[in-house]
Amino acid sequence: MQENNISTGNFEQCQKCSLCETVCPVMANNPDYGGPKRSGPDGQRYRLKNGIFYDDSLKYCLNCKRCEVACPSGVRIADLIQQARIEFSQKSPKLRDVMLASTDQMGPLASAVAPIVNFSLGLAPVKGLLDFTIGLDHRRTLPKYSSETFVHWFNKNAASRQDSYKKHISYFHGCYANYNYPQLAKDFVAVMNAFGYGVHLIEGERCCGVAKIANGMIPAATRDAKANMSAFSKSLVKGRDIITVSTTCTMTLLEEYPELLKVDNSGIKEHISLVEPFLYKAIESGELKPVWKEGWKARAAYHCPCHQERLGLGIFTTELLKMIPGLELTELESNCCGIAGTYGFKKENFKVSQMIGKKLFDDIASAAPEFVACECETCKWQIEMSTGVPVKNPVSILAEALDLEKTSELNCR
Amino acid sequence: MRFDVVIIGGGLAGTRAATELQKSGLKCILVAEGLSLNNCPKNEFKAAGGTVLQGDRVVSGVFEGNRLIRVFTEKLGNEPLEAGQFVLATGKYFSRGLVADMDKVYEPVFNLDIEYDSDRLTWFDPSFAAPQRFLEFGVKTSGGVALKGGVPIVNLFPAGEVLSGVSSAQGDATEQILNSAREAVRAIRRN
Repeated sequence: MQENNISTGNFEQCQKCSLCETVCPVMANNPDYGGPKRSGPDGQRYRLKNGIFYDDSLKYCLNCKRCEVACPSGVRIADLIQQARIEFSQKSPKLRDVMLASTDQMGPLASAVAPIVNFSLGLAPVKGLLDFTIGLDHRRTLPKYSSETFVHWFNKNAASRQDSYKKHISYFHGCYANYNYPQLAKDFVAVMNAFGYGVHLIEGERCCGVAKIANGMIPAATRDAKANMSAFSKSLVKGRDIITVSTTCTMTLLEEYPELLKVDNSGIKEHISLVEPFLYKAIESGELKPVWKEGWKARAAYHCPCHQERLGLGIFTTELLKMIPGLELTELESNCCGIAGTYGFKKENFKVSQMIGKKLFDDIASAAPEFVACECETCKWQIEMSTGVPVKNPVSILAEALDLEKTSELNCR
Repeated sequence: MRFDVVIIGGGLAGTRAATELQKSGLKCILVAEGLSLNNCPKNEFKAAGGTVLQGDRVVSGVFEGNRLIRVFTEKLGNEPLEAGQFVLATGKYFSRGLVADMDKVYEPVFNLDIEYDSDRLTWFDPSFAAPQRFLEFGVKTSGGVALKGGVPIVNLFPAGEVLSGVSSAQGDATEQILNSAREAVRAIRRN
């Protein structure tokens, strides 16, 4: 009897139509990559027989999951590829990969000496040295660190008043909002408070682990996943749902934990929501009442991050943004920006990363918006570096467009 | 989420109907799986102010009497899409607008009435290049609306290849598909 007669990731449903190949951003730009069909379901047939059929070119996969969105047969192509990398790759992560992936270890170190880090990472000789020694591409603008983390700010300035609200949520801030861009988290607190929700941190929150998965650090990612699930359970006991702001963190918590890390999230998953669907549903049902600033006007173009599209949640963001009376919103054609988390930071990927993003950059240039609206932090780095157009998270747009005082008066009674 | 019209399927018929309905002032959402939705018609629909739910699939619907009132999709889970009118443009077998079993052909989302022959041996011609009868099968209509258990569903308009008698294997298929989309648009504007 055949031992492996189980269709992992639904791969036996593949009918070889090649639709996935027409949407793969890497295949169009990197001839060394075999493409999703070959790397995913086709390769899986061979790998099931023997691991020697594993092909190292699978590392070129961005894990953008556009192939899964396109597949008419429900094959989890990107999951198959990531699973194969986890199972068969013999390469251990390089020092650079460990540094890029350990966002929650590097964050506290860099934040402690943020001015020095930010200054020196902007210097050409330092970037040249990092390129030469560890392979961090010198053309890449490196993310800035904040000298005060969000958590520190929150505990000092906001934590004490949160219990006074009638409704409560737990906030999974993630590494980016904590170490790199606390303003986003502050905007989140301001918006949620205005709508009458007390915001609470999750005790023992860890990095979601997505960068570790992408860089082959599976045991470390699994530890993060387990720690998060037990931290989340404690939050749920208090009756507080978990609200997230980062698209990719959310996809990791919801989908990658059970699929790739085999960490069970049932019973918890149902209580995790991205902020845009959460607010949209509550506003549409009339539970929350926004008051918009009079005369506020802006012209934005919306870029839907790949993972937002994979989750099927982009629609909540566009519908939420369309509620803002002063916002003129155009939707950009769905294309990958090319950075894919830590992928675009690596010397060997920089060129392909920029080639992939070119269509999107050109579209942004011709739309010429005041800013790009986008939920994803790494898309933000890539788009700002490559186009010079600022990128704002929808939460920050809400914080600007809402009359927070009047909204609060209406919703906090 | 509430819309004036939900268009299910983003191929030739779906995008055409969606764009024309949106341009006539109705608030539309297009549920489009995979690549069946091409970029050019999709952008035209978006530019007209329409909403696209990309990479998702309608899995079930709720009927009230002879009206469809809401549908559920795979990714939105228990968040329904509600509307006054619906266009069904899910195509034939490849896009799973129709499913063929050993002994029957059915419409998998709403289980609508299908025009087909119960004798499987008559479905195909062994000669590959000959006209294949199974490509003619599709959803039955009465006055432009779909039938379910013989009862007309008054606000569900099938368009394109999901229809009985419409098949892209025929020479004049593009015109036929677009015409069926335009008919659905006219009927919805009247409704």
